[in-house]
Amino acid sequence: MSQKKYWQSFAEVNDPENFQKKAQDEFREELPFEDIDNKGLLDAKAPRRDFLKYLGFSTAAATLAASCKTPVRKAIPFANKPDNIIPGEAKYYATTYVQDGDVVPVLAKVRDGRPIKIEGNDMAAYTNGGTTARAQASVLDLYDTHRSRFPTRKVGDKYEESTYEFLDKTIGEALAGLGGKSIVLLSSSIVSPSTKDIIAKFPNLKHVQYDAVSYSGMLLANEASGFGRKLPSYNFGEAKVIVSLGADFLGSWLSPVEFAGGYSKGRKINEKNVEMSKHYQFESYLSTTGASADERFTHKPSETGTVALALLAALDGSVTAPSIADPKLKAGITKVAADLKANNGKALVVSGSNDINVQTIINAINNAVGAYGTTIDWSRPVNYRQGIDKDMADLVTEMEAGGVGALFIYGANPAYNYHDAPKFIAALAKVKVSVSFNERMDETTELCAYNLPTHHYLESWGDAEPKAGITSFIQPTIYPLFKTRPYQTSLLKWSGNNTDYDTYLKTYWAGILGSEDAYNKVLQDGIVEAPAIAATVAYNAGAVAGAASAVAAAKKGGKTEVILYQKTSIGTGTGATNPWLQELPDPISKATWDNYAMISMAKANELGVKLDMDYEYYPQKPVFEFAVGNNKVQLPVLVIPGMNPETVAIAVGYGRGEKLGKTAAKVGKNVYPFASFNGTTVDYFADVTITDTGAPKHKIAQTQIHNSYEDRKEVIRETTLATFKKNPNVIPDYRQKLVDDFAKKTSDFHKEATLYPDPATRHNEIKWGMTVDMNACYGCGACIVACHAENNVPVVGKSEVLRYHDMHWLRIDRYFVSGETPDDLKGVVFQPMMCQHCDNAPCENVCPVAATNHSTEGINQMAYNRCIGTRYCANNCPFKVRRFNWADYTGADSFGDNQDQQLVGKLDDVIFQMNDELTRMVLNPDVTVRSRGVMEKCSFCVQRTQAAKLKAKKENRMLADGDVKTACQQACAAGAIVFGNSYDKESHVSKVREENKQRGYYVLEQLHVLPNVTYLAKVRNTEEIIEDKHHSGEEKHEAIVPAAEKKEEATH
Amino acid sequence: MGLLRYESQVRPPLVEGDKDYHQVTEDICRPVEAAPSRLWWVGFLISVGLLIFGIVSVTMEVIYGTGQWNLNKTIGWGWDITNFVWWVGIGHAGTLISAILLLFRQGWRTGVNRAAEAMTIFAVMCAGQFPIWHMGRVWDAFFVLPYPNSRGPLWVNFNSPLLWDVFAISTYFTVSLLFWYSGLLPDLATLRDRAKLKWRKMFYGVAAFGWTGSTKHWQRHEALSLVLAGLSTPLVLSVHTIVSFDFATSVVPGWHTTIFPPYFVAGAIFSGFAMVQTLLVVTRKVLALEEYITLEHIEVMNKVIVLTGSIVGIAYLTELFMAWYSAVEFEQFAFFENRLNLNSPYGWSYWIMMGCNVLSPQIFWSKKMRRNLVLTFFMSILINIGMWFERFVIIVTSVYRDYLPAAWSTYYAPTIWEVGFYMGTFGLFFTCYFLFSKFFPVIALAEIKHILKKNGANYKAKMTEIENEPLEEFVQKHGHDHGA
Repeated sequence: MSQKKYWQSFAEVNDPENFQKKAQDEFREELPFEDIDNKGLLDAKAPRRDFLKYLGFSTAAATLAASCKTPVRKAIPFANKPDNIIPGEAKYYATTYVQDGDVVPVLAKVRDGRPIKIEGNDMAAYTNGGTTARAQASVLDLYDTHRSRFPTRKVGDKYEESTYEFLDKTIGEALAGLGGKSIVLLSSSIVSPSTKDIIAKFPNLKHVQYDAVSYSGMLLANEASGFGRKLPSYNFGEAKVIVSLGADFLGSWLSPVEFAGGYSKGRKINEKNVEMSKHYQFESYLSTTGASADERFTHKPSETGTVALALLAALDGSVTAPSIADPKLKAGITKVAADLKANNGKALVVSGSNDINVQTIINAINNAVGAYGTTIDWSRPVNYRQGIDKDMADLVTEMEAGGVGALFIYGANPAYNYHDAPKFIAALAKVKVSVSFNERMDETTELCAYNLPTHHYLESWGDAEPKAGITSFIQPTIYPLFKTRPYQTSLLKWSGNNTDYDTYLKTYWAGILGSEDAYNKVLQDGIVEAPAIAATVAYNAGAVAGAASAVAAAKKGGKTEVILYQKTSIGTGTGATNPWLQELPDPISKATWDNYAMISMAKANELGVKLDMDYEYYPQKPVFEFAVGNNKVQLPVLVIPGMNPETVAIAVGYGRGEKLGKTAAKVGKNVYPFASFNGTTVDYFADVTITDTGAPKHKIAQTQIHNSYEDRKEVIRETTLATFKKNPNVIPDYRQKLVDDFAKKTSDFHKEATLYPDPATRHNEIKWGMTVDMNACYGCGACIVACHAENNVPVVGKSEVLRYHDMHWLRIDRYFVSGETPDDLKGVVFQPMMCQHCDNAPCENVCPVAATNHSTEGINQMAYNRCIGTRYCANNCPFKVRRFNWADYTGADSFGDNQDQQLVGKLDDVIFQMNDELTRMVLNPDVTVRSRGVMEKCSFCVQRTQAAKLKAKKENRMLADGDVKTACQQACAAGAIVFGNSYDKESHVSKVREENKQRGYYVLEQLHVLPNVTYLAKVRNTEEIIEDKHHSGEEKHEAIVPAAEKKEEATH
Repeated sequence: MGLLRYESQVRPPLVEGDKDYHQVTEDICRPVEAAPSRLWWVGFLISVGLLIFGIVSVTMEVIYGTGQWNLNKTIGWGWDITNFVWWVGIGHAGTLISAILLLFRQGWRTGVNRAAEAMTIFAVMCAGQFPIWHMGRVWDAFFVLPYPNSRGPLWVNFNSPLLWDVFAISTYFTVSLLFWYSGLLPDLATLRDRAKLKWRKMFYGVAAFGWTGSTKHWQRHEALSLVLAGLSTPLVLSVHTIVSFDFATSVVPGWHTTIFPPYFVAGAIFSGFAMVQTLLVVTRKVLALEEYITLEHIEVMNKVIVLTGSIVGIAYLTELFMAWYSAVEFEQFAFFENRLNLNSPYGWSYWIMMGCNVLSPQIFWSKKMRRNLVLTFFMSILINIGMWFERFVIIVTSVYRDYLPAAWSTYYAPTIWEVGFYMGTFGLFFTCYFLFSKFFPVIALAEIKHILKKNGANYKAKMTEIENEPLEEFVQKHGHDHGA
């Protein structure tokens, strides 16, 4: 082997050592940078090169610095990391939503010290982990910019900031100097046992409980019937026949979250069990509950007593039947009575009346149908409402007479919602020491001398006893944001006890539970349930005869009556400050940001309202003046099917004071003055006169304007129980026909009926799917608010809703089904509609930049960063569930100063409220806040599926069914929404699909977009047989023709 | 003695007046070389004003978002895409005239092709504005280009008809521009040679790309014209076909229609010719070019209008028939309720479309009407209104009430910025057109000289004289065997 040597230069031959060294250096010469330090730029070895380098760098740096305007937001890390807190990981604390007697046991999701989402507490058996729209929205109240931020005292017309020390001293002195005048605590119903204990221990404190919408008629009637001044637990799940006389028990009556769970149990059917409970509703207007009823009968509100009396007479003949003119109503009573009799012991009758006599009759009916001990449970009386109207009336009289020296107000707002507010306001002026503990500067607080704002419940310690023996605890999830103090602490201090309320609470419960450890345990669970104590009370019929003659003798109402009702969103008015709730479409009218008069079509014709195309398609609605006595209110009218022809229904809770902030003020009108005191209780109905004052039309922002599903069976499947039993296979037959028509070869509709490759090949082990039971959904909207909170869905304000720019990812489509005229309502169908996550998604193939695409788990996903906003996907979505950011609703846009539109699309104040630094704390950090110009839509809560997978992976196990719940599913008290892995045959969603083959269908299945959301057909429990034109070719089932359409057809 | 020309006996001359080559050059170059008239300035300034209005409108939309327009959750496209399709349609006549008529050797095209091509280019420029500025995030518009990137395998979606639009329209624009410009070269050289001012010499000199008029240049020019004509011909058909795919490939009832490609192409030619009429009726008058753009041209184009208008009419009726025949309730609702029903919210727009596009052009079956300039001008405007409504009907009346009745909504009147954007494109179009008519010959100078020899009035008169001569006399007079 020859020893050849290859060399490159003489240096390598002659001086190999030095050469090697140099060859290894990347830069053969000294780097010029090093010289600069010593000699300066110009003397450096290669100043020209460096000059270019510096020039290049500085130009690039200047460009970068000048062009990237994104403001720097500093995040300050913990100096000492608290134990148990890992940034980015959510903590859940059991607490309780309490508002004016409404109690919902919840879990607060806390991210990095901020509560951002409310979820139902599964440990609470009686709510089954359900929530309400208001409970869901309550987390936003915490960050409300209009909360009272510090204690104030009123000096002249001004509110001066003060300190608790000073106020304790001042008020303490003032209390001492009352000279025998009484001290009164005026509050909404108090459900907290410890607070009641504090109140009881306050020397000489008189406690008056006042409910904005009162149940004192029921409380007193129960007392008269021998049950004591209490309200029982209702067991809707056990009832085969449910009769409601104007009780909106799914929307606003007592505790809808609790009733919804039981009610939906009786409404859910599957192949093996085709029986369902029967729900009759007698009412004056179309309520949320009435919308779910199988059969409805309408009457004027003043006739509630007559109906109850007639029903009792038909049941047991113990009273004389009053005469009823309306044949339909009369026949209905007879039918209901027969059905009740047939279901003795499995029936329940409830009434929303606040009249003691009516409720006494109802108690007699419930006794006659064997409800006590079966569907009505006196072993667990409920504490939701305790106010007695007479107490309040007496208090106002006493205040007027100057007998009240000091008035403490908590949770009550009579200056706004008392039926005779001016009287209360005048009386309040005569009270020397008026103190409000309310969280906001509401109409009553405005008038008080002192305001010591209490904590929001998410900042508080506390307890709530919704039902006897069941206590749900409140624990703080965040340090108080403002200088607020629990009102209990104030009461303790002023009663001479210097303990703080949290200490007091701990001692109180440690005493009851036996130890502090036990207290800590129940705080973790959130709820403690003592065994029920068997009811010792028995029904006493003594008051019935008197009540019957009182009802029979009650004065008849006038021609037209007005009834006041509560919306599921705003309630008595407490929801009015909450943008999520204001923007939540009403279940029935689909209107946001307003109250209005709901009238029948007959009334509209009488008033000369033109129900033409313009009425339906444009938001301008005619305005009339409604007068009850001297109280006049101008309101727009909305024609709603299923109204009593002579009844006008108006929601309370609107027309709030200016100091409550921009969200509540100037929205709607206050109709509480229409209520009146009859000597015992408050009536929420009255005779009304309607006059056309020629007022300009008013725009109502509805998110849905067309009310009929136009008999489009591909969209809505609804039937009656009798029809369903007769032809159970209508839907499977239709689906089979699709297979026969389009997939002859393989009988696989998914694979064959398409040009594209089988979408299933794209999926791994997981394919997310959802089922929505339209029989269980009653339209309350808790899911919509939950979706807002979970997914940072922006609020757009009335002006933008009017332009159909609402952003709801999940909406509840509501269709009316009626007979001859819209007033003859047969039923209402609620269809929660969200992205269907189609396997062959039509949105996906039209996006030019592939911003919307399909995950391997079957989720149709949005890459917001990639979206350029062509809106083609939204046009091509047959379900129209895609939402576009028309303006910078979130303040997240990279363009600055672009929310000051003037000429077009001026944004409402609420947008700025929602974009406030404080309010933005409610945002979920796991979900991108979308900037304007991008499309968004339901993601199947992809952040939750990802989190659950990660958790399972960390725990080294497979993903289990139930690990992921979407926000809407979690919020639903009726369990109408089920979500899970449809490839797992054992998952809940697969089982629901398997068990409901006869009702399960996909919306617009014939399009072959292959949706992943199964809908279960709506079944109304009636005997009517609907002949399907697709099958028998017989007479076509009459779907509702809405007012405008009907008119339209008549014209051509 | 028909052997001497292949022009039909009955066809009147294409260039009227006793023109010779010099006269033609003088006539056509005069408007370019003379100072602009007062009328030109008025028109130009109005156009620039509209353009500024458009720029302001678009600026507002870019700053504040698409909410500056009255679109909504149900109607994602409205005036924006209506205007886009409308302008693209208008941009069809030019290329059709230059390319297809060139291939079919239609001599009459030379009188109108230059202006029509220019119109095409400006119309496509206007059309292109809409898909660009209708984007919610226009600053990311470059995402539609399939460029290599560092974002992993992130590519455009080749399934999307919108992406096909990007390619179709940019190709069409490029080819049309090249075609137009290559045709301009000899004329620019003429202007350069005639120029007296230094800047004109410079300007036209650079623009003429050193054209000398050598045989080699002419030979290459002719070859290039043929190649570009060959390329353009399929494009005329493909562009609007692809635009129609935006709708035809969707699932929306009223959009999902297989008839769309031919129907859109016919409609495009229809509206394009109407726009050519609008412009030429004015141009020939203002620039005194009646002898070049003759009543013959107007009449021929009116014939095309009545033909394409009738095709469009048949397409409308076919759609209605198919909706009925399909037995699909969603289709039927879209056609019979959303459109035919005059009492539905947008029923009126359907009937405007029907009236303007199908009924009114039938008047052109009469020769007298075809040659009536005032009527032609009026009809050309009417047709373009009708064609605008056709696109509005297709886009808006389909989506505003589609599958789910709960999602139905109405589309209100457009906002000032939507109108402004549309007006702005008129501003752009006419600003360009005014500049074009000032700086470039509006009639293809070189090309019209080609036909002058066989179709000019001068030539025809001389030929008639010759043709009337007896054969012997003719041979004697014009024979070339001087020796015999």
